[in-house]
Formats: sequence, structure tokens, C-alpha cells
Amino acid sequence: MKPMLSTDLNVADVVVEKAKIEVKNLNFYYGQSKALKDINLSLPERSVTAFIGPSGCGKSTLLRVLNRIYELYPKQTAEGQVLLDGKNILDRSQDLNLLRTKIGMVFQKPTPFPMSIYENIAFGVRLYEKISKAEMDNRVEQALKRAALWNEVKDKLNASGQSLSGGQQQRLCIARTVAVKPEVILLDEPASALDPLSTAKIEELIDELQADYTIVIVTHNMQQAARVSRQTAFMYLGELVEFDRTEKIFTSPREKRTQDYITGRFG
Amino acid sequence: MAHTVASFDEDLRQISQLIRDMGDLAGSMVGASTKALLNSDNAMAQRVVSDDAIMDARQRELDDRAITLIAKRQPMADDLRSVVGAIRMAGDLERIGDLAKNIAKRVGSVGVSAAPRDLSHSIDSMAQLVLIQVQGVIEEYTAGDATALAKLRNDDERVDVKYTSVFRELLTYMMEDPRNITACTHLLFCAKNLERIGDHVTNIAENAYYVLTGTQLPANRPKQDETAMPAPAA
Repeated sequence: MKPMLSTDLNVADVVVEKAKIEVKNLNFYYGQSKALKDINLSLPERSVTAFIGPSGCGKSTLLRVLNRIYELYPKQTAEGQVLLDGKNILDRSQDLNLLRTKIGMVFQKPTPFPMSIYENIAFGVRLYEKISKAEMDNRVEQALKRAALWNEVKDKLNASGQSLSGGQQQRLCIARTVAVKPEVILLDEPASALDPLSTAKIEELIDELQADYTIVIVTHNMQQAARVSRQTAFMYLGELVEFDRTEKIFTSPREKRTQDYITGRFG
Repeated sequence: MAHTVASFDEDLRQISQLIRDMGDLAGSMVGASTKALLNSDNAMAQRVVSDDAIMDARQRELDDRAITLIAKRQPMADDLRSVVGAIRMAGDLERIGDLAKNIAKRVGSVGVSAAPRDLSHSIDSMAQLVLIQVQGVIEEYTAGDATALAKLRNDDERVDVKYTSVFRELLTYMMEDPRNITACTHLLFCAKNLERIGDHVTNIAENAYYVLTGTQLPANRPKQDETAMPAPAA
């Protein structure tokens, strides 16, 4: 069968009622090397989308384009369009700080700041908003509750964020992301360094957060993608091979490459 | 393409081998039970009864292997479909074994009263038809022929037509001579068993089709069993 071109893929069964993010004809380069090839994709609002694929397929690169975090590094360039609510965020005029309050990111390794649990959350909020102590207390509490961490840390808010366990640190990072009231949350392998119980808590959290946020998760754990996401994009060698409803991808994918990858035949 | 983990392929191969073995056993049980019935062969009937124990043991082994595979490998896509499909197909094959055993158990009761072959000519051709279906479904699944499976599923219609005619024929014999009633009632149960076997083959064909293609056959298929319909007004 002739492989489907990535540009044909949005005709899949994914029903995008309202696209929060639309990626159009996106190409990405690390220096001369092309890491993303003509990606077209619509990410539905308030829904979880998973990016899967073998190492080096471009899934993390694509995630990093969505909040332009790649610009922290030299010689990395993106071409094409990434529309957030219809506005191209790759445009030069885009305010990067504003963009990153709208699109938060959580990394594979928990990255708490070397400060108290409270300050880990308040720090980001203070960068963008001037609010009273009482309001800040409330904001910190709400964020920690949202990240299902409040009950575990409410009596030690002044303890160092780095004193928490790995799973708690990751939820602290999610609380920190949520505190600045983003619209989109990008998760890059958020549970790969965690034990099964902490992983379950993160997954439960993702499930709850999707009521309010558009979530994109990159994961190597196929079962995790199957559990948490509503739609899944399979990428290979910088191309978007298949994008469809998650149940479809994991029970009867259309593309042979997708099937071979998810069943453990290559990758 | 083979799995990166070679033992995964071996696990899947063993499960599909068990399905083939159960399919072969089901075919031979159906063939032997009807042959025993038509020839009043009690020894052959006894073999069918003991074969059913082997069928049950195979099904339990398949269940164990499939559950272990799911726990160990968390299969996806075609692998997932083939494991879940195997569990369901094994259930149908096991039921086919039970029904063949039930036919075999009636051989003694039918045999003493009259020569069954004289009583029902159509039950013989019905048995042939069912046997072709049982053997065919496993062959087509093994060959990976989804189109043939879809056709085979619809061919069950012919079994249903045959069942209706056997039903009428036996009814006529019973009306002609009440001494035929005992034998004919047993034969009627045998015919019903064959018809049920046909339905299980239909289920297997539907499952096999889903395993191979990832899509379900349409829910409705032609139905020709008219014995349960009210008789037309005289």
C-alpha cells in the first residue's frame, strides 16, 4: 500500500471540534539537518494528544517547537506555521514570555528550583502578576491541589522543593506550570523516571487536567499513551506517519509502520 | 516482520498452533460423531466422548497462555487482536466439541430403534455441509484469507436451510408412524446440534475476520432457519 503523505493525514477520524493548536507545513532544522518534515496536525482543545515514535523520530522536537523553547539553542530553526487560537506563534513579533505563560512545559527529569515548595510555585506567578500575600497563598494552594500534591505538602510548604520524592517533585513541577494559568501543557516523558505508583498519580492528574487544558504528551510508554490520550500521533524519521483516535491507533492502525512500531517489530 | 523480542513470536505461534489443533480436533469430532450416528457405531461414539476431554484441556492451556502473554507482553494492534480473537475462537471450538459429544451420546438411543440412515437422508448431507464449514474456517484463518471468511460466514445460511428440511422430514416420519418418535426426536436434537455448530463456525469466522482486518463484519447476515417461525395458517 502506498504510504499516506503527512499532508493527507488530517482526514483521519480525529474529530477536531475546536483546534487549540494547528501545525501547518512545519519543517525544523538542527543546523543543516532536517528533523521535522512538513508536519500538518490539529490538536483539539481540552483534550490529550500523545506523540509516539522511536528515539530520534522528532516527537520531542515537535513538542519543543510548540512553545519555541528550541530558541534557547543556537542554529535551530523552524519554518511553517504553528497557530495557537489562529495566531502564528512562530511569528517574530510573538512575545516569548507571554507565549510560555500560555504554553507550559514539564520535562522528563523533575526540575524543582532550589527553594521552598511554596516559592517554587510563587516564583513563576510573581514574574507575570502582582498579587497580595493572601492571593498568592491561595494561588499556591490551588495549584498544589490541582497537582494532587497539597495533602502531602501542606504542612511543610517551607521545606525545600528538592527534599520531595521524584514523583512529588514532578507533581510540584506540574503545580508550578498550572499556577501561571496556562492554556496548553506540554509534557515531555513526564513519568519515565517515576515508579509505578507515582506514574499512576501523574496519569490520574493528566486525566483531570484535560477538562481545563489542552495537553500534549510525549511518551515512550505505549500503554501510557493508550491510557491517557484521546488522539495519538505516530512519528518516524521526522515525518508524521499516522494521526488518529488513540483506540484506533492501538487496535487497528492504518499504516504498517505504525503497526510494526507499536507491536514491537522495530524501533 | 518478526518482533524484536523473538520469544514474543514464539508465544504467539504457540497460541495459533493451539487454535489449529483445536480446529482439527473439532473437525474430526464432528465428522466422527455423525458417522457414528449414521452407522450406529458405538465404539466411534465413545472415542468422540473421550476426545472432548482433550478439547477442554487444550482450551484451558490456550487460556493460560493467552492471559500470560497479555500480562507479560501487553500486545498491541494485530497482536492484541490475535490473542483476544484466539480466546474467543477457542470458546467456540470448545462448544463445538460439546455439541459433537452430545451427538455421540445419542448414538446408543437412536441405534436400537431403527436404522437412522433410512430415517434421515438429509441429516447426512447436513453433517457433510457442517463439516466443510468447521474445517474451512480454520483453514481460511490460517491462510489469512478474510474474503473467504466473510463468504464462509454467509454460507451458514445453507446449513440453516438444510436444518429446516431435516426438521420437516423428521416430523413427517413421526406423523407416519409413532414408533419412530423416540429415534426421530434424538435425531432432531442431533440436527439442532449440527445447526448450533454452524452458528459457532459463524462466530469463529467473524472473529477471525476481525483479527485479520481490524474491522467487524456487518452485524446482520442472512438467516434461513424457519423452524422457529409460526406455521402458516391452513
